[in-house]
Amino acid sequence: MELSPAIRAHWPYAPRFARVNGWRMHYVDEGSGEPVVLLHGNPTWGFLYRDVIGPLVRSGLRVIVPDMIGFGLSEKPTREQAHSLDGHAANLTALMRRLDLERMTLVCHDWGGPTGLSFALSNPGRMRALVIMSTWAWPLPPAEFHTRIFPWRMTHAPLVGPYLLGRHNALAGRGVYLSVVDREKFRRTAQGAYEAVLPDPASRLLTWVWPRWIPLDDSARALARFRWLEQELARTRIPALIIWGREDDVFDAATFSARFKQLLPHAEGPHLVTGRHFLQEDSGPEIARLVAAFLDRLGQQGT
Amino acid sequence: MTVSAVAVVSTPDLAGKRLAFALAEDRVGHYPEFRAFFVRTFDLDRVGLAAPGYVTAPSGLTYALVFIGRSGEAFPSGLEIHAVVDALEPIEEQTLDHDLWAILRWMMDGVGGDWTVADLDATGRLYRIPAVETS
Repeated sequence: MELSPAIRAHWPYAPRFARVNGWRMHYVDEGSGEPVVLLHGNPTWGFLYRDVIGPLVRSGLRVIVPDMIGFGLSEKPTREQAHSLDGHAANLTALMRRLDLERMTLVCHDWGGPTGLSFALSNPGRMRALVIMSTWAWPLPPAEFHTRIFPWRMTHAPLVGPYLLGRHNALAGRGVYLSVVDREKFRRTAQGAYEAVLPDPASRLLTWVWPRWIPLDDSARALARFRWLEQELARTRIPALIIWGREDDVFDAATFSARFKQLLPHAEGPHLVTGRHFLQEDSGPEIARLVAAFLDRLGQQGT
Repeated sequence: MTVSAVAVVSTPDLAGKRLAFALAEDRVGHYPEFRAFFVRTFDLDRVGLAAPGYVTAPSGLTYALVFIGRSGEAFPSGLEIHAVVDALEPIEEQTLDHDLWAILRWMMDGVGGDWTVADLDATGRLYRIPAVETS
């Protein structure tokens, strides 16, 4: 897929591709130093981190930004059954092993949380640190937002999801727009980049499949994985930083960042920045500063 | 647009027609009440895979609901919606989109319980879906 000059102006990075777990994954790999891996979620792609990459590279880090299979410039399977939480974690694991990353810092956002933490907690020997933003990693997570039919359950209901999010690309367009603070700036500079990489209804499949993987009751498909994540998070001593959007109304800070702090009492933060769910859109440079300063402190401590 | 603008009909005459793919759902039982609606409406416990269901939509077009089975899962596991159109004629996209929205509203009304047409309409307005804004 060719990106337009307007998108390229904000995303000058050389595209790289790797076969991972049977799929073609796109990623960028910039700078040199200890690796920092930036993970996006639904329905975004590496572009979400465009204001984070440069400052981290300039602070002496190697920055790797994969596009989840199904999003961005990566391969987009067209069958729902191609997607599972464990499968996406395995996709990431394949890339991390292929790049043979050690002493890595994993920055997790949205579905980059459950997938990235599944990798981190099953490969602790490769980890240096975790950064956690607007996500969750325990069973039956819902905030009040996730319990309501309007709008959340309705957007991915049977047939409604394929219509709204498939035919009309409602999540990558207006959905992200509604979940940033500076909507006018987002509309002007970023919305097109999220819509353009999901050009056809079939390419948007994962936008309504991911919401269906959020456990809402004891019969949920991923319940056992989330129970394991919660248990392993409570045990891990991997250094961690929690950053949250002050205005986040999807994974609200009061509920979700506090729960991470409870599971990871050694973590720094939560640091609140300007932002709704897609806080990188409003506070990319500040997030980069927080991550670089955190890693500097770990270095001074010999970690 | 009222939900009564969509009605179940018997198998139409398909001579000179084709089924134009419109929408697919791989997981109709994600919320089980949706599967139950289709089973109830089209007598699927008896009919099974023997025949599609058919509905008419506001444009006057008929739509085939093709139910899909998957080993190990309750039937139907999935569903495709196809417009029944003249074999060699292209479909008018806006007509299709408005008809699909009407079918969703009809489905939501039939599912019932906590699922309401009002919430579907509100969701459509939130996302500025053309069919709801002009209906």
